[in-house]
Amino acid sequence: MRVNDAVIGILLLAFAIATFAYARTLPAIPGQEYGAAVFPMLIAVGLGGCGVLLVASGLRHWQGAVIWSDWARTHHAWTKLAVVFGLVMAYILTAATIGFVPVSILILLVFLRTMGVRWWVAAAAAIATTMLIQQTFVGLLRVPLPLGLLGP
Amino acid sequence: MSAITTAFGLVFQPSVLVTILLAAIFGLVVGAIPGLTATMAIALLVPVTFFMDPVPAVGAMVTCSAMAIFAGDIPGTLLRIPGTPASAAYTDEAYTMTRNGEGEIALGANLLFSVIGGLFGTIVLILSAPVLAEVALQFSSFEYFWLALLGLTCAVFIGTASPVKGFVSLFIGLFASTIGLNNPAGVPRFTFGNAELTGGVNFIAAMIGLFAVSEIFRFVISRRVQATPQAVVGNLFRGWGRMIVRYWRQQVRGNVLGTIIGALPGAGADIAAWVSYAVSKKLSRTPEKFGKGHVEGIVESTSANNAALAGAWVPALVFGIPGDSITAVVIGVLYLKNMNPGPTIFLENPQYIYAVFIIFILANLVMLPLGWAAIKGARTILRIPREILMPCILMFCIVGAFAINNSTFGVAVMLVFGVLGFLMEENDIPVAPCILGIVLGPMVEENFVTSMIKSDGSFLAFFERPIAGALGVVTLLVWSVPVLVGALRSRQTAIPREG
Repeated sequence: MRVNDAVIGILLLAFAIATFAYARTLPAIPGQEYGAAVFPMLIAVGLGGCGVLLVASGLRHWQGAVIWSDWARTHHAWTKLAVVFGLVMAYILTAATIGFVPVSILILLVFLRTMGVRWWVAAAAAIATTMLIQQTFVGLLRVPLPLGLLGP
Repeated sequence: MSAITTAFGLVFQPSVLVTILLAAIFGLVVGAIPGLTATMAIALLVPVTFFMDPVPAVGAMVTCSAMAIFAGDIPGTLLRIPGTPASAAYTDEAYTMTRNGEGEIALGANLLFSVIGGLFGTIVLILSAPVLAEVALQFSSFEYFWLALLGLTCAVFIGTASPVKGFVSLFIGLFASTIGLNNPAGVPRFTFGNAELTGGVNFIAAMIGLFAVSEIFRFVISRRVQATPQAVVGNLFRGWGRMIVRYWRQQVRGNVLGTIIGALPGAGADIAAWVSYAVSKKLSRTPEKFGKGHVEGIVESTSANNAALAGAWVPALVFGIPGDSITAVVIGVLYLKNMNPGPTIFLENPQYIYAVFIIFILANLVMLPLGWAAIKGARTILRIPREILMPCILMFCIVGAFAINNSTFGVAVMLVFGVLGFLMEENDIPVAPCILGIVLGPMVEENFVTSMIKSDGSFLAFFERPIAGALGVVTLLVWSVPVLVGALRSRQTAIPREG
């Protein structure tokens, strides 16, 4: 999925302008000219400059706003991308309440099945990986992975 | 002398040695599996090293990266798919050798010259770092500002096809580094009242996103064909003596070039391999043999990519400026471990520096037996189905990003950078400058603001001290050369049209 440089350029330019405007509102250190605002403003100028250059080069080679690569034409590639994204989101939203072990097994099962792995292999891999992570991160490294439902 | 003894004591402990061994095996497996890069291996390892003492943490990262760069040669030779980008330069050549029935010679050469290249880079590191540190002790904020800027500039110009897109990546990284309270004025920036954002964007979470999660996204959309690798039969050690004698020139050239390219900020093992392969072909007496299964170019470039790894540590240890994305992460970890890189570490904690040197030598020596075992076990490693591996890696990424602050905020940062990294690579925007920007951003800002305050806002002060002035001129030259070359080229193409 190649987005034309001009489109990326316009997005960057808009982002740079917003950054610059926000950075101007940052408080100055009393009695000093160079405070928290200087560096973000310089970055905004740089990013905006790149945006302008990309717009220029993108318009020269304009072939439509987006050129769809082979994978992007297929419906199942997008589904798989959405699944991966959704699974990470699911962890962020539910791990604290449900707990690491059940969430991890579920995430792995869904992902493995999406990749076309057979049921029993997927179940075995999901449980084994979850146990391995639980052992190394909780047992060895003392990371407090959320207990959730299994907790007190 | 006592610092060296202490260093030996720090390294030769059972727990440290076991860590190094495990990291080596991990690096070999990850490096050998196509689609999993050396940088990804480091990204997955960092959350674990986070909980270790400084010496085993650094030891694990050094060993893991060295092994992964070598192991990338294995699938390149057997499947024609480079395991890491650093092997891509000579994958076709090595695979042709396998098809000619000389696979064991190609892999043997990869192993032997990876070890020699790594050791050469290490020797350069040992000899040059303390000398450079003496010089660096006299640096002020002006010199550090230019050094950091030069590092970022090189990252943009060397590693990318389009400097504009390199700059885009760099500015995104620099922007991410400004988020939070961590700035000279201590003002919350771009936090929008969010308590988690005041802590800033954690570079480990960002790196896991950029280098591992984006790779998982790319994997799920790719059309996979898991080919059966060719078998390696025969003696790996065959012809080692002959190759050393016959190709000593190529090997020395590869070592030197690799170390230099590695030491340049922003250029790592992959670029070292490409340049060395090209140089080897250009200077060869038999350039017509290249591409038809000729070991000469492999010798030179496989030496170079492992030498580059140690070379990248020179600016990292001495100035705190990363030579590639791996050392960028290492620098971040060193700060976490209170082993702040920079010239003062050579005075205050020389035992740590010596420990790093010892680990480098050790890592390259254990590569011989472990590399041999990896080549022998290659068929098994390459048969691991990636449909099963990738979901498990995603889970490790999530837990790794969580473990940094024990908060799901890290997982969210990882996801954002994963999507960003995927979109960037789809549009030919390199991700390496971005991670350098995140790591170096605070350093650039602090030195810039301090220097501006010191000089009362005069830019000329940045050129007044001799070393700062020289570094400044070099940086400006690097910026202007592509513009000049572009202008010259357009004139040259314009002239014939006129005539």
